Order: sequence, then C-alpha cells, then structure tokens
Amino acid sequence: MSTKKTHYPEIPRKNLGPGWWLANRHYTVYMIRELTSFFVTAFSLIYIYQVYRLASNPGTYSQYLDTVRSPAMISFSIVALGFTLFHSVTWFYLIGKIQPIKIGRKKTSPLLALGINTVFLVIISFAVLQLFIVGK
Amino acid sequence: MSTVARFHALLWGVFSLGGFIAAFFLPILIYINNIAYPLGLWPVTSKDPTRLLVINQTVSTLFVFAAVGGSLFHGIFRLSATLAELGLKKQEAKITALGYAIIAVGLLALGYYLWLLSPNIIPGLAPPWSK
Repeated sequence: MSTKKTHYPEIPRKNLGPGWWLANRHYTVYMIRELTSFFVTAFSLIYIYQVYRLASNPGTYSQYLDTVRSPAMISFSIVALGFTLFHSVTWFYLIGKIQPIKIGRKKTSPLLALGINTVFLVIISFAVLQLFIVGK
Repeated sequence: MSTVARFHALLWGVFSLGGFIAAFFLPILIYINNIAYPLGLWPVTSKDPTRLLVINQTVSTLFVFAAVGGSLFHGIFRLSATLAELGLKKQEAKITALGYAIIAVGLLALGYYLWLLSPNIIPGLAPPWSK
C-alpha cells in the first residue's frame, strides 16, 4: 500500500467583503442573530458600571440614576431588550436543533424546544419579579 | 485529549451556559432596571431596583452575578467571532485577547463590588473594612 500523501486541488474561494451577509436573507438573519451579542455585552458592561457607582460612591449614585432615566438610555434599553429577546428565541430554537432529546424512537423538534423554553422564560421572569421586586 | 483542547472545550461549555443565562435572565433584568423603573411601569415602584437586588441580599445578588457575568462571557465570546466574520479576521487574535481581558476584569469587578454591597454572599469572609 502506498504511503504517498494525496494532494487535493484547492477549491477557489471567493474573497468576501464585510457586507457578505447582506447578499442573502438567511445570512442577514444569521448576522442579526450574532449581533445580539453586541447588546448582551453592552448591557452587561453598563450594568457592571452601575454596580460600581452604587458600591464606590452611593452619594453620587443618584446622578447616575438620572442617566438611567434619560431618553437616550431608555431608547437604547428598549432596543437592547428587543435584541436580547431575539437572542432568547433563536438560542432556544438552535439548542433544539443541535441537541434534540430522544423520546422512544422519536426526537424532539426545534419548535418544541422553543415552545418549552419560552414557557420557562416567562416563568423565570415572573419568579424574579415576585421574589425580588414585588412588594419591596 | 490535550490540556489545550480540554481548556478550549471548557470555554465553549461556559459560552453555552452563558447563552442560556443571557436567554433566561437578561431580558427581565433589562426590563426592571432600565425600562420599568425609569418609565414607572408595573411592577417596579419608585424604588431603584438595583438597590433592592444587591444591597444586603444573598439570593438576588447571586442572581445578578450569574445574569450579568454569564451574559458578559457569552456576549464577548460571540462578539469576537462575529467581528472576525465582519472583516476583522486578521485582527482576530488581538480581539480575542482583548475580549478575555474584558471578561476577566469585568467578572472580578462585578464580583468585588457585589461583595461590597452584600458581604454575606461569601459566608465567613467579610470585606476588609468590616473587621
């Protein structure tokens, strides 16, 4: 048996520009899904800054709360919430697709995973409100 | 499996866990702190929700740490890969290194300041000034 290495011809690859994801609807949805990470990251960093302001100088913290109440921050937060919910929905669907659960001979569908996890999202959100916010 | 491969698998595992955390916990935190509170929507009163969550509260402080820390890890890990796909492939190594640095500093800062606000989250270990 020959031990000679087989060389395959290289497939010519098109050089893609930064706007490649606009060429096709599926690519665009994919990129919007990936860009949810920007809002997840931005909110996390902003919240860490808020905790820092509260812990380091409670006296000037109320000034920071004026920023939280500003129209710009509220607008950003509404957009961030929209993208975060889009992350939730696409993440639940994706998990159902890549890790289906086998029940007998059948496998669960991504839509079922999306439905069940969305119910959990609603339950967890209400639990957080009831446990930590309502009545305090 | 090599140590590097094991470490890589661990990072992907944390990324996946962070994805679940961001999906389940982050929307409600954004709503109560940045939308319901400033707009006076149900069920938040005029009290600042962050004070309610993180001042001398063990469970809700741990919730905040998990929600924000997990989301930060997931978000930066995913954003680094996305920036490479958007044309910054040559800078990928630098972006990844910067991302890990932000994750490390962010998690340490979050943990430290939450500990200052709720010393009881680490039983038996109070912040230095309280001794």
